[in-house]
Amino acid sequence: MKKKTLKLHTVMRLVIQAVFFILMPSAFTTAFSGIKYIFTHMGAREYLEFTSFLSVLTVLCLYTVIFGRFFCGFACAFGSFGDWIHGLYIVICKKIKKKPVQIDVKWKKRLSWIKYIVLSVIIVLCFEQIYGKMSGWNPWVVFSMIRSGNTNFDSYILGVVILIIIIIGMAVCERFFCLFLCPMGAVFSILPVLPVFALHRKRNECINGCNACGNKCPSGIGLPDADGTLSEDVYTGDCFMCQKCMDICPKENIKKGKGFLWKGNEIWFILFRAVLLAVLLIYAGI
Amino acid sequence: MKIFWIKLINVILIVFLLCEYNHVIKYREQKENIDRLDAELVKSKSLSASHEENKQEVPLYTNGTYEGEGKGFGGSIKVNVTIQEGMIAGIDIVSADNEDGAYLDAAKGIVEKIISEQSADVDSVSGATFSSAGIKTAVGQALKKAEM
Repeated sequence: MKKKTLKLHTVMRLVIQAVFFILMPSAFTTAFSGIKYIFTHMGAREYLEFTSFLSVLTVLCLYTVIFGRFFCGFACAFGSFGDWIHGLYIVICKKIKKKPVQIDVKWKKRLSWIKYIVLSVIIVLCFEQIYGKMSGWNPWVVFSMIRSGNTNFDSYILGVVILIIIIIGMAVCERFFCLFLCPMGAVFSILPVLPVFALHRKRNECINGCNACGNKCPSGIGLPDADGTLSEDVYTGDCFMCQKCMDICPKENIKKGKGFLWKGNEIWFILFRAVLLAVLLIYAGI
Repeated sequence: MKIFWIKLINVILIVFLLCEYNHVIKYREQKENIDRLDAELVKSKSLSASHEENKQEVPLYTNGTYEGEGKGFGGSIKVNVTIQEGMIAGIDIVSADNEDGAYLDAAKGIVEKIISEQSADVDSVSGATFSSAGIKTAVGQALKKAEM
């Protein structure tokens, strides 16, 4: 992709992330509250009402089944926050002429299982009616409080500490929280993504020795197998549709749905998905 | 592709299980309701003679509409509490500018609880703790004005 178009895509992603950050910064915690609601009520043997938490969760999950984790890559306020912190870190590294920390892809894959443990623990705590008393630990609440100007952290000291650790992680490792800790991400990973919009690569058309896509990918989803299929990785829960691989591929080899409909990272398609997501979330009750 | 089908079947199973759970719970709740109403019917028949004594336990408020304010998640929540015949008849949320849509929606569930318990001293809505606590405080403030 030409350098100018690449820059346009990067700027566009930044703008869309900023718009979602301002318009609906609690979308991610609202959806996750739906999960907590389900298990808290099941533990208390209560009827599940279709509250606005559940409607947001359902809409977001249905959207993800069709378009993949576009929400994570473009609309999640916490993910965007992490991207900006990491960007800041890279800029600072350039200024002080130090090389940024590189995390081995193997470790990224191994540690990415932790988020399923985080999700399971939270679900069990909700079911046993203990989670409500533990909200002082929740770094997302602290993040929301800071964002809305509420600095009364008296009962949230642990949450503040955890948030600080997460910020340090996000600085040195791109999408640190999303890859290793995000329970909502774990939920999204379990969802089936329709092949029509999942990423596919034609291995036999790759340039020998090129690993541009693998290098750019924050999730460490690497090259496809020799026979051309990305096999499990295409449908892996860890792709959040940031489209960096598509943008950087020198042969424009990566396409959505095997190029059946269109390439997949066109400007109009990005805008269409962003607007559709915003409209659906507002309709669902954000 | 295999992974896609496995995930799809998993999700369908989970949704199915949740719906079945809801069915069972609804059935149990209906049974409990029937039993409870039967018991109340028996109790009210034998208590109708001492009805006058029970009236004194209900705290008396002066009729009218009272304003109250409380701190929610992002800012202040203002409510109007309507008192009719000495009891809490209605609660209107006048303003809640800085609350997030879905959370405020869930917190509004506390209004029903307050009216049925006839007191602002009820449990917060889990998952919308700050917003529902704000509504509680606001209603409490309004009720204090009504207590004269």
